[in-house]
Amino acid sequence: MIWFLLALFVIAVLVIAVSGSRLGRSSLWVAAVPMAATALWSVTLLGSDEVVEAGFSWVPGLDLEILFRVDGLRAVLSLLVAGIGALVCVYAVGYFSPAAAGMGKFAATLLSFSLAMVGLVWADSVWTLFVFWEATSITSFLLVGFKNTDPVARTAARRALVITASGGLALLAGFVLFVDAAGTSVLSDITPVTGSTATAAAILILVAAATKSAQVPFHVWLPGAMAAPTPVSAYLHSATMVKAGVILVALIAPAFQDTDVWKPLGLTFGLVTMIWGSVGALRHVDAKLILAWGTVSQLGLLITLLAMGTPKATFAAISILVAHAVFKAALFMVVGEVDVRAGTRNINELSGLRRSMPITFGVAVVSGLSMAGIPPLLGFPTKEAAIEAVLGLADTELLVVAGLVIGGAVLTVAYTTRLLLGMFGGSAPMADRVVAPRRSAMSAPQVVLAVGSVVGFVALGRVSDVVRTASVIVEPDAVVYTLYRWPGLTDAFITSMIVVVLGLTLGGLLARRTVLTGPAAHGAAIADTVIDSIGRAARGIAGVVQHGSLPLYLATMIVTVAAASAAFVGEIDTDALYWWDNRAEAVLVVMIVTAAVAATVVSSRLGAALVLGAVGFSMAGLFVALGAPDLVLTQLLVETVIVVGFVLGLGRLATKFPKPTRLWLVGRTAVSVVIGAAIAVALAGAASSPTGQPPIAELAESAVDVGGGNNVVNVILTDTRALDTLGEVIVLLAVGVGILTLTRRRTRAVGPAETPSIDLPPTDSDPRSVAAEVSP
Amino acid sequence: MIARPSSIVALAVSAVTPIALLIAAYALFVGHNQPGGGFAAGLLLGAVVVLRTVAGLQEPKYAAVLLAIGGVIVGVDALSPLLWGEPLLDQFVVSWNVPVLGTVKTGSALVFDLGVVAVVVGLVTALLEGFGASDLAESGRTPTDSQIEAGR
Repeated sequence: MIWFLLALFVIAVLVIAVSGSRLGRSSLWVAAVPMAATALWSVTLLGSDEVVEAGFSWVPGLDLEILFRVDGLRAVLSLLVAGIGALVCVYAVGYFSPAAAGMGKFAATLLSFSLAMVGLVWADSVWTLFVFWEATSITSFLLVGFKNTDPVARTAARRALVITASGGLALLAGFVLFVDAAGTSVLSDITPVTGSTATAAAILILVAAATKSAQVPFHVWLPGAMAAPTPVSAYLHSATMVKAGVILVALIAPAFQDTDVWKPLGLTFGLVTMIWGSVGALRHVDAKLILAWGTVSQLGLLITLLAMGTPKATFAAISILVAHAVFKAALFMVVGEVDVRAGTRNINELSGLRRSMPITFGVAVVSGLSMAGIPPLLGFPTKEAAIEAVLGLADTELLVVAGLVIGGAVLTVAYTTRLLLGMFGGSAPMADRVVAPRRSAMSAPQVVLAVGSVVGFVALGRVSDVVRTASVIVEPDAVVYTLYRWPGLTDAFITSMIVVVLGLTLGGLLARRTVLTGPAAHGAAIADTVIDSIGRAARGIAGVVQHGSLPLYLATMIVTVAAASAAFVGEIDTDALYWWDNRAEAVLVVMIVTAAVAATVVSSRLGAALVLGAVGFSMAGLFVALGAPDLVLTQLLVETVIVVGFVLGLGRLATKFPKPTRLWLVGRTAVSVVIGAAIAVALAGAASSPTGQPPIAELAESAVDVGGGNNVVNVILTDTRALDTLGEVIVLLAVGVGILTLTRRRTRAVGPAETPSIDLPPTDSDPRSVAAEVSP
Repeated sequence: MIARPSSIVALAVSAVTPIALLIAAYALFVGHNQPGGGFAAGLLLGAVVVLRTVAGLQEPKYAAVLLAIGGVIVGVDALSPLLWGEPLLDQFVVSWNVPVLGTVKTGSALVFDLGVVAVVVGLVTALLEGFGASDLAESGRTPTDSQIEAGR
């Protein structure tokens, strides 16, 4: 079933890619099909102990496996990912105008993202997870930058990509260390690890999760990513992309609980992010930015709870993860609809929409109250669970963590109140704004999600079972917890009522005010400066290293190789060396040396080409003497092609070399001697101290048995070491494609009638546009 | 000198072409048991292309197509064992009886080698194409050094 669903995704992507331009907005319906199918299948697995696994070993020798596993936790996650994805597809049909361009591309990218996300949550091997992790970074870059003519969107997309991709590098390093420490790459097999390697892995993986899940100070990409079309935000920035880091932390937490850094670092990230995010949400007047900052804050809370590592906190984290996805996606959809129909998202300009957009208003109230944690909605019991979990701490932890989490909850209620009052409150009719008619494709998905928040509370017993099954995967001790509709007058309940009162008051006071407004995108500006300077540094380094002088490139490579072979000098054992097997070798070597020396002094180009050919053919003779017919054949053919090629090229050049300067002559000779000596030393060193038996017998045997051929050399090439050959073929392909593209571009650029073939985006005033990066 | 190929060279090259093709095919098929193989066959064909270009018999083209075909063949051959659960690049051997030749034993390595042939020929053609051998074959004019400098 796993393979079937993944294949369905791929097929749908291909269908859209092929016919997207004709389908237009309808391609979104195609995109919804695999998502809906995945969501339905996930529903059947909810709350059960059944585990579905799939996978295959890709390169057994390297332990590279592709593994998927769907258990109680992953079923919940894939239900959120695929279910909200399907709803977002429907929503997008209403969001975009019928004439919108690039719908096929949009649907295909959205679906690819969804595939990457489903793969990520189902992955059971860290390597599989890493691949899908990177895929989400790339597809989300494309989605955020969907309006690619808009410099703001492009900058935001680039910022998101650079930050999350740097996190990807940290993740790769972290996984390498983790696998080294844990001895397994399978997530469901992990056991607690300790030691310095594990500590380093814990830091790297936490940082990676922090970049993806927008933890301070890596959060700067998330508000900027609001430049994306709202369906993208509703999908990526509520339920999926930003949750990837949280999911990673949840899955890998059992391994790192015992390391010294995991908890303090995770708590620091989480708590700072939670507070800073909710303060950010109070600073903005753009409803979408309020939601984005609110998401940052909620992600901080999730990371805090998971870093605490108590069963209760893990249970609360999973329940909040579910509730948050449901209400935040709905709220993003509300804001998108307000934006489309009223023409603005600024809460200072919006007013009285509760009358003109009643359905949206209802959705917003339900989802907003769920976000604020007010009964009778799903957000309430989950927030109760969180408060109960932090109140269960002791001593300093109780003071700091509980204090901050409760403070964050107050701010959450406050920004929710401010958002709702701002968008729908007030009675003044909006000046020069006409509210466009309702589109049912936009309303339906919101209503579904809002109903979800209500039904989640009504059927809390079922939700609780599902969350418990999911939490047990991370933390087996979480099996004792339940979500309560009415917890009774516990400390947590009293605390949360105080939170609500304080939050409502604060939100009411701050509505339509921006007392906290500071430099709006300060962090983003810093991030952009850093990214720009990385680009400049890269160009600077490339300018120095890629100087364009072929002789210098060669000299650099040769000197490096020579330096590397210096280590072999000590290995040489003169007793093990002898002059020749056979006197013909000596004759051939003399020929090679003579021809090589002649190549340095000959003044005509044709002469040089022929002398080099002589070196090559004598080398072939040497291979004959040594009994290597395959090498002879290849060497002869290579030499033939090279000599003919030289002759062909010589037709276009002057017959003689330019007169060399003294320095040039000396330098060239020195480099030649160095490389010759270095290779000789390396070979002599390697031949002096052989260890073990030569593998010839084994290779010859396996050539016949496994490869089915008697030519051992060729069986090595095509079977025993076929991966190497594959690599060589790829190198050849790259060289060929490089030659073709480089030479074609040049011919076209100098051609008088043709336009330059470099695909530049439309130029604009943005100094950081791609055009700046193309120029040297 | 090369730019205006003599008709003797052209005749010789066109006479040699079929023989070279035959040898290339032979090298490809015996590669598994005797000296030869995909790389050698590809180079032989590449040499044919170079010679024919020099002799003015044809201009090098389809480099991109050849490279693409080769890449696809090699890629498919490498990945297809995964479909039936074998490791990457695992090859299977088949042997069957052919009337004249007797029992022929071959395998998916031959397919892999075919891809290598296409890539090598494609690369040689790309070199010729890229470095302007086509104008040479076409017009028989030899650009001067200064023209080459200007084009750089």
